[in-house]
Amino acid sequence: MLKAIIDNIKGLYSLLVGLSITGRFLLSPRQTVHYPRKVIEPENMASYRGPLELVPGDPDPAQSRCISCQMCVRACPGHCLTVTKGASGKSPEVWLYDFTLCCLCAACVESCPTGAIRFSHKVYLVADSREALHLDLLGQLKSSAKQTS
Amino acid sequence: MDRLNFINPFGVRYQPDMVSGDFYTKNFAKGAAENTIILNLGPQHPSTHGVLRVIVELDGEYVIRAEPVLGYLHRMHDKMGEVKTPWQFLPNMGRVDYLHPIAWNWAHVGAVEMLAGISVPERAEYLRVISCELNRISSHLVWWGAFVMDLGGVTPILYAFEEREKINDILQIVTGSRLTMSYFRFGGVCADADDRFLKLIEQFIPYLRKRLKMYKALVTDNVILRRRLENVGPMGLDICQRYGATGPILRAAGLAKDTRRDIPYGVYSKFAFPIPSGPTDDCYGRYLVRLREIETSLLIIEQAISSLPDGPIVIPKAPKPTFKLPAGESYFAVEGARGQVAVHLVSDGGKTPYRVKLRAPGFSNLSLFAEAARGTLLADAIAILGSLDLVIPEVDR
Ligand code: SF4
Ligand code: SF4
Repeated sequence: MLKAIIDNIKGLYSLLVGLSITGRFLLSPRQTVHYPRKVIEPENMASYRGPLELVPGDPDPAQSRCISCQMCVRACPGHCLTVTKGASGKSPEVWLYDFTLCCLCAACVESCPTGAIRFSHKVYLVADSREALHLDLLGQLKSSAKQTS
Repeated sequence: MDRLNFINPFGVRYQPDMVSGDFYTKNFAKGAAENTIILNLGPQHPSTHGVLRVIVELDGEYVIRAEPVLGYLHRMHDKMGEVKTPWQFLPNMGRVDYLHPIAWNWAHVGAVEMLAGISVPERAEYLRVISCELNRISSHLVWWGAFVMDLGGVTPILYAFEEREKINDILQIVTGSRLTMSYFRFGGVCADADDRFLKLIEQFIPYLRKRLKMYKALVTDNVILRRRLENVGPMGLDICQRYGATGPILRAAGLAKDTRRDIPYGVYSKFAFPIPSGPTDDCYGRYLVRLREIETSLLIIEQAISSLPDGPIVIPKAPKPTFKLPAGESYFAVEGARGQVAVHLVSDGGKTPYRVKLRAPGFSNLSLFAEAARGTLLADAIAILGSLDLVIPEVDR
């Protein structure tokens, strides 16, 4: 009997402790990042794997380093990539990437002998259709090279 | 053949309900007895943690029969292993159990390394331990939040996610993702730990210890939680062993069995850590075991960080995505957050493995539910379900 009373008093006390903790956290600052007013700091973004992009070539940033060896195409578990060799030389003519199928596994990046592909950090990418995620990476590379020059 | 009017050689006529309908509908096809009702919990009920369906027959508030129904999240991972090269199957491992993907990484990579006779550099072994234990903590944190939410306390999961996001920040540095991580490679890991990684872990360990004290004051000692969990859903050693339960459920039943200790893999044999077991085999006991396991993981991480050796993180000439397995068979088991995770590989030397079998602890653990829930209150059955720490994608694979 006495034990039950003590137990109940202890129980009530535990509720008060819990309430005080909740109260304390009510007054603590917000932990989440309130997008779009705030964005995640770039330090945290550096390792984030976004959709693939081609590494700009050296010296011509509009030229890809790709030699159309098809290693990435064969390695990819999701069959996301299409690389077609150009008529002249080894550089590709078409470099298509289907982001809807990609699981961001890095098989392509790790198997590329020339280091021509990397992950971008586009975390805020939004698309309103499936087709919008079928990306032409060679075209992207050319337009971004034009923008920077 | 007319299946509905089929009469077998013994002259027994098949009843239509024996021919049509799946096992579960047949099992419950008798319908409710007098004064009882049959209720579907799930597949979309929030307290069933994903798409688990449980059919229960209720007498008032008491559960007479309960039957989990699987298959709503079946994605054929075992089969996919047979049509992909072992490397291409790696990203699947992050998706079998999204709460503790790194344990599955380890099981698959370990099975391949065992079969192909690949050794792993020392530094990679340490990084594997660190990432796996961090991931175990984050898995237990989600379980903790979700379990308390099942019982009606919504705030704790928000605290748990605060910690989990910190772990995700840390693991993202090396794995590149926050949920379906694929960090291990045959013969090592894919990225090295940088200073920021180590610094964040060093800050995180004391932080989490402080938070665990807060968890204890806020939830563990809370009288409502204790009354909801104490003496509810006891699962003794006998039932655990009959159904092949592993992990915290088995340890709460009093048996200190842990793959990290029993079949040491990686560099676990170099660390000193206790295996929490007991004190009681009810829901509260399982709750306590998991919280103590978080502390154990912190201990292991601390030791691994302080003795992290320098060196390469992957062997030279590591297998490429087109790598072929030699013919043979291997079985590799690791300790996941929910119990023993294992991969059984059979290869005939071809491009893809001949057979891949994934051993998911959640499947065995769920099997206990039907027996443990019989005769309990419906609210207690939910507590039992939560205390099993189910991840349905892993149960269904
Ligand atoms: S990241 Fe993986 S899935 Fe995506 S394109 Fe590369 S290989 Fe294919
Ligand atoms: S592996 Fe690299 S070089 Fe070869 S086709 Fe792919 S991107 Fe081009």
